[in-house]
Amino acid sequence: MVNTLVDTDIQHTELTAQSHVMKTQAILPYDKKNDRPLFMVLVILAFLATITLLATASGYRAAVGWQENLQGKLTVQIKPTISGADKITHNTADKAERAKIILAELDQVKTVTILPDEHSKALLEPWLGDASIPDDLPLPILLDVQLNSSQNLEVKQAAILLAEAGIRADIDDHSQWNKEIKRTTSAALLLSYLALGLIIIASVAASIFATRAGLTAQRRLMDVLHQVGAPPDYTARLLSTRFATSGFKAGALGAASALLASVLVGMMFSTSNGFSYFLPGLHLSLTDIYLVIAVPSFLALIIAITSWRTVIKTLYNEIYP
Amino acid sequence: MHINISQQIPNAETSAKSSTQSDANIHFERVGFRYDREGEILSDINFSLPPGSMTFIIGPSGAGKSTLLKLIYLNMRQSRGHITLFGRDTSQIDRKEIPALKRRMGIVLQDFRLIDHLSVFENVALPLRVAGRKRADYKDDVLGLLKWVGLGHRSHALPPTLSGGEKQRAAIARAVITKPDILIADEPTGNVDSDMGRRLIRLFTELNRLGTTTIIATHNTTLIPEDANILSIEHGQVTGTISGEHIG
Ligand SMILES: Nc1ncnc2c1ncn2[C@@H]1O[C@H](COP(=O)(O)OP(=O)(O)OP(=O)(O)O)[C@@H](O)[C@H]1O
Ligand SMILES: [Mg+2]
Repeated sequence: MVNTLVDTDIQHTELTAQSHVMKTQAILPYDKKNDRPLFMVLVILAFLATITLLATASGYRAAVGWQENLQGKLTVQIKPTISGADKITHNTADKAERAKIILAELDQVKTVTILPDEHSKALLEPWLGDASIPDDLPLPILLDVQLNSSQNLEVKQAAILLAEAGIRADIDDHSQWNKEIKRTTSAALLLSYLALGLIIIASVAASIFATRAGLTAQRRLMDVLHQVGAPPDYTARLLSTRFATSGFKAGALGAASALLASVLVGMMFSTSNGFSYFLPGLHLSLTDIYLVIAVPSFLALIIAITSWRTVIKTLYNEIYP
Repeated sequence: MHINISQQIPNAETSAKSSTQSDANIHFERVGFRYDREGEILSDINFSLPPGSMTFIIGPSGAGKSTLLKLIYLNMRQSRGHITLFGRDTSQIDRKEIPALKRRMGIVLQDFRLIDHLSVFENVALPLRVAGRKRADYKDDVLGLLKWVGLGHRSHALPPTLSGGEKQRAAIARAVITKPDILIADEPTGNVDSDMGRRLIRLFTELNRLGTTTIIATHNTTLIPEDANILSIEHGQVTGTISGEHIG
């Protein structure tokens, strides 16, 4: 067709060959300047969502961990009797041995361990500091009683048994502490679930809103594609792929910064054994990694669905007759 | 009172040589159109354009020329009457079929509708890309056509850097790159001087000689070639038709 038409009087002075390689341009390229505000909003949303997710997961794990540690466990403290200077320690150790035998015979008890002196000394440390504790100081002896799982030993019952054998002991089943932890962590968890829910709703709403706004700017492109005969699926795929990719990138950036931030903050404020209760700190689990991957994927999915639906709706309602 | 002029506008020469595009006809029968509930913008439009014909639609501003073209390129549906396109009653055309039909039509609109971030080359190649054609297959065609419309040296340029006439030619190149059966142009000489206007009309004439059914809306009657068909509308009605000199 082209060759048969060369006899027109359109000027051909510029017939320079354009045969050098041209790169195919994307029909819908990334427009850094115009996309940046939306991009930043998505990054921030992903950051907030990830932080909240990590905190919630970490808090949940901490709560479960504490409860598991304390449940099914008693601590028995054999007090030294204050009489006869020399035999005190020996007397206490003897009582501890007997208490161990008595307790070990109970059906509910799995193991009884007499804890070494260090544990008792550690209990005194807050009062005495780390100044060397004199060896002849009368120390209580601690027994660690592990119960068979799902069995409960009444504190009173054990106390009576020991008293009958002439052993004065304090028994702590940690129920008070346990209840406290449960209450506090439930409250914290409830709050973080609430925050998580709100952030998810906000992210979904914001990405839907952002996608629609972004598509309005592409209305002309949609018109032109329709004019040159692009099927609706083609246009919808083009736009939703582009928006979802952008959303994924923003999500990945937000989630990665959130992970980095929480690890850094966790390290700064962690306890001496490297554990910080509501942040993953150095204790990154597989769940944390999954969450960090899930955030951008989820964001991309929402955006893909929204943009697909918006494009199809615009085409059918406004562009098609 | 409505005056209905129903007349066939044949074009002996072109219809004879375009037997392969025998369904590229456009037929209006008592077509009426209204936006919303206001009065009819077009009423009782009757005409028939055979395959390979070249027709100018003329009339004062607001007469309904653009509206008439929109009905032809399936941008809107008529309120009443029948339109036959490619041998089919358009009211029977499912919207899923519209993209395929649009690919058989080249459309040039007054505002060009070029995509600003794509080069002239990419704009012109867009219909081919959308149709799934490989770049290696169409590259030479696009470059050749760009040379032919005098844009060979501007193939890398972005539309915002083009002059009005260059944009016009890029839009025309995009409309004809697929060798459409029907070419529709709304005011294609509106933004250029009369010299460029004449060149563009000649370009349309050449395309028409190759068998493309061509319809051009314009109020610039001085540019209309002597042998063209003319359909004049006023206040939404056909007020006259002039058949090309081939009919006599
Ligand atoms: N979207 C619309 N909604 C309502 N009325 C419209 C719309 N588009 C056009 N009109 C009206 O329809 C009438 C015909 O418009 P049209 O654009 O077809 O005229 P035209 O002949 O192309 O004029 P021009 O030569 O100025 O381009 C005008 O009165 C116009 O105001
Ligand atoms: Mg008009």
